[in-house]
Amino acid sequence: MFITRRSMLKSVFAGTGLVAYGLDAPGFLSRTLAATPRLDEKGGKETILVVVQLTGGNDGLNTVIPFSDPLYASSRPTLKQKPADMKKLTKEIALHPAMGGMAELWQDQALSIVQGVGYPNPSQSHFTSMDIWHSAQLKSPYSDGWLGRSLGLMNRGAGSGYHLANKGEASPLALSGPVKCPSITSLTDLELHTIGQNGSDRRKQRESIEQNSVSGNAGNNSALLDFVQRTATGTFATVNRLREIAKQYQPKVPYPENGLAERLKLAAQLIDAEIGSRVYYVEQDGYDTHADQAASHSRLLGELSSSLTAFYKDLKARGQEKRVLILTFSEFGRRVKENGSQGTDHGAAAPVFLIGGKVQPGLIGDHPRLDRLDDGNLKHHTDFRSIYATALDQWLGVKSLEVLKEQFKPVKLIKA
Amino acid sequence: MFLGHYLAIDPVWAWSAYEPDPKSPWTIEKAGHLYRRAAWGANWTELQTALKQGPRASIDQLLTGGTGLEAFHQKAARLAEPLAQGTDDQRLRAWWLYVILNSPHPLEERLTLLWHNHFATSNAKVQNIGSMYRQNELLRRHALGNFDKLLHDVSEDSAMLVWLDTVANKKGKPNENYARELMELFSLGVGNYNETDIRQAARAFTGWGIKSDRYHFNPDEHDDGQKTVMGKTSTFGGHDIVKLCLDHPACARFVVRKLFRYFISETLQPDDALIEPLAARFRENHYDIKQLVSIILRSNLFFSPEVYRAKVKAPVEFAVTLVHMLEGRVDSIQLADLLDPLGQRLFAPPSVKGWDGGPNWLNSTTMLLRHNLCLALTSTEDRRFYNRCDPAQLTRKHMNVADPTLDQTTQFLADLFLQGDIPTTTHSKFVARCTQLKQQKYAAYWSQDFIKDYQTRAIAHLILTLPEFQLA
Repeated sequence: MFITRRSMLKSVFAGTGLVAYGLDAPGFLSRTLAATPRLDEKGGKETILVVVQLTGGNDGLNTVIPFSDPLYASSRPTLKQKPADMKKLTKEIALHPAMGGMAELWQDQALSIVQGVGYPNPSQSHFTSMDIWHSAQLKSPYSDGWLGRSLGLMNRGAGSGYHLANKGEASPLALSGPVKCPSITSLTDLELHTIGQNGSDRRKQRESIEQNSVSGNAGNNSALLDFVQRTATGTFATVNRLREIAKQYQPKVPYPENGLAERLKLAAQLIDAEIGSRVYYVEQDGYDTHADQAASHSRLLGELSSSLTAFYKDLKARGQEKRVLILTFSEFGRRVKENGSQGTDHGAAAPVFLIGGKVQPGLIGDHPRLDRLDDGNLKHHTDFRSIYATALDQWLGVKSLEVLKEQFKPVKLIKA
Repeated sequence: MFLGHYLAIDPVWAWSAYEPDPKSPWTIEKAGHLYRRAAWGANWTELQTALKQGPRASIDQLLTGGTGLEAFHQKAARLAEPLAQGTDDQRLRAWWLYVILNSPHPLEERLTLLWHNHFATSNAKVQNIGSMYRQNELLRRHALGNFDKLLHDVSEDSAMLVWLDTVANKKGKPNENYARELMELFSLGVGNYNETDIRQAARAFTGWGIKSDRYHFNPDEHDDGQKTVMGKTSTFGGHDIVKLCLDHPACARFVVRKLFRYFISETLQPDDALIEPLAARFRENHYDIKQLVSIILRSNLFFSPEVYRAKVKAPVEFAVTLVHMLEGRVDSIQLADLLDPLGQRLFAPPSVKGWDGGPNWLNSTTMLLRHNLCLALTSTEDRRFYNRCDPAQLTRKHMNVADPTLDQTTQFLADLFLQGDIPTTTHSKFVARCTQLKQQKYAAYWSQDFIKDYQTRAIAHLILTLPEFQLA
């Protein structure tokens, strides 16, 4: 005697609509039933995580600045910011002058800054350190990513994470795992391509493909064919929604003109299209500022700040800000003392920004002390995996222990 | 017939050889089914030949492979030589796809892929193209050989030694990774050993390492003390542990279940009563894989309606069968790159468990990408493939009608891709689409032939995007 999974699920979950994804193991149901959004149903709004990677090693000390500490100015003879220009957050801490937008988010209680984030025995290699942040493992092999592993524990039917890529940018290790996450550079990457000599011809072909995706005749193995048909229906629903969005989407606030803003706008479109994806990944490159840092760093932080601010405001105008958490990180901070070329070398601990309608606003943890350095670098007091664990357990609803293989102390990032 | 809630399957009936009879005749659907499971789909000539010669001769042929296998292996090895010394995994992936597309022994490649998923090793950690290539050759050498030899050889394989940390497993500092996966994933499955067995077994593999990219035993690092594993005590070495696993009654059942899922069905959950007769034969035949596959492919169950289209095509299968059916000759580097976003990067399974497969292959993105892949291959307008996989050329080659109508062409393509087995409702939608295509206005400078080819490609894409085409 044996039984198909479908028939078993049918008898247990008759009428719940779960059969749509019912070919998975029963464990899948018990684990993620509550957290499973339905692609073909509106309203099942799930939390979303947007990760913004600052590639190259952002100079955290000139991003979140302990301006009242005289060691700051003395360590940075040419790179120090003028107190008058800085965006002061507290009596001791200010944001870089280019970060006016983020200062507004601070005022709006939508910004949380975790200071002094890092990990033990920090690597000064871009590649190793990046792999460590992506895999959330301190030792090689860094074979998959923390987000990829998380997505593997979430629902399947609704899809995956999205890497919103700059042209030619490889898919990040962070997203690598059992669920394949696409890298897309624009909405056209998610179009159904068809043959056709003109628009109306293409439309007819597309309609024909869509109509045929549901034959209604299940045949002998209706379980699997049903599943394929439902996936197809979901696919076309998503594709059509995206096509409409591409035509109609007008950002509610103006975005600045830069690549990062374009990619975040794409994220806003996808989120607003309710395509069911819960993880988005965006990169901003250029932070490896070994020489003549002042101008380029200021431009980068300006772009970051204005883009994130526009993104957040756009989401807010659509009523989406409470379900989105934005997390920024860089593979490391930079050396406290500037070098001889008006730049900074690779360092260690740095701040992590969290933005969203549900973040616990304010500063988390003290700024690492400038008089207690480790080989000239800031010491971390918060392990980045504590932040990941909090985002997993308290935001995405995935057991962090299963993803990180270790229990980390949560950080108070998210409002109860 | 709809599969009921409970289905009793008589094991004797299930594993007896299928003989066509009036109730269950040998049909083009069954021939297509056989080739989808035991090869990379059937092209038109293969379908017609299989239909004529019946199941027995067709399966005989699939089990032996075509002529020129030895020469092909030599050619493949020559092609691999330069890239095995490099660091470019894209070229290695393209190489294997080339072999899959061109080998005269498709079943051997199917089994090689199965073992790649069973002994799932990723270059993400191994970081050595030469080792990955040699493992691939090892899997192919034993693909239809003996599972006991396969298991012994894989244990010593240099990619595996790195992948599961045997190289770090030293006397006094045992690393349990290989011992665990050997039992859990490669031979027995959970429940057939305990944690002490793993810890003790790990000691037996100490001293196994690599020298000049090949297996090397270092007696100084080997723990030659007494170990107790699965109730037996001795100064076991690694191969003794492998043998203990092979001697365990669960081993044959474990491997048979794997083959059941690969060749028969991803939806049926076979109980032990159905598995055990096959496992017993597997043991009696000293783990002869070819004999096991032979019983499976010839069986009543294999050709029964219950298991028809009961598998989701894996990305490699999906793309390769399409190219094969269209007799395409495409650039396998381009093809390899397209498989990555579909979720199957050869030589890089996501973990030691391999690809989950089945319904996990499909979600709204991968489905869309599969549709777009079909178009890229067949439209003749994609610069990666041009007209190297063109349905219009194929219809001209095989349809023995002088000037076929669009409806006839549609029928031919439906027969080729799905052996005509599509629901009547779908069929009538095709008729409607054909009418649309015929009535449509075309650019004045399009010749009649050009228009016909265009229509053929449009219909081909329509059939390839049917849900039925996702299934094997």
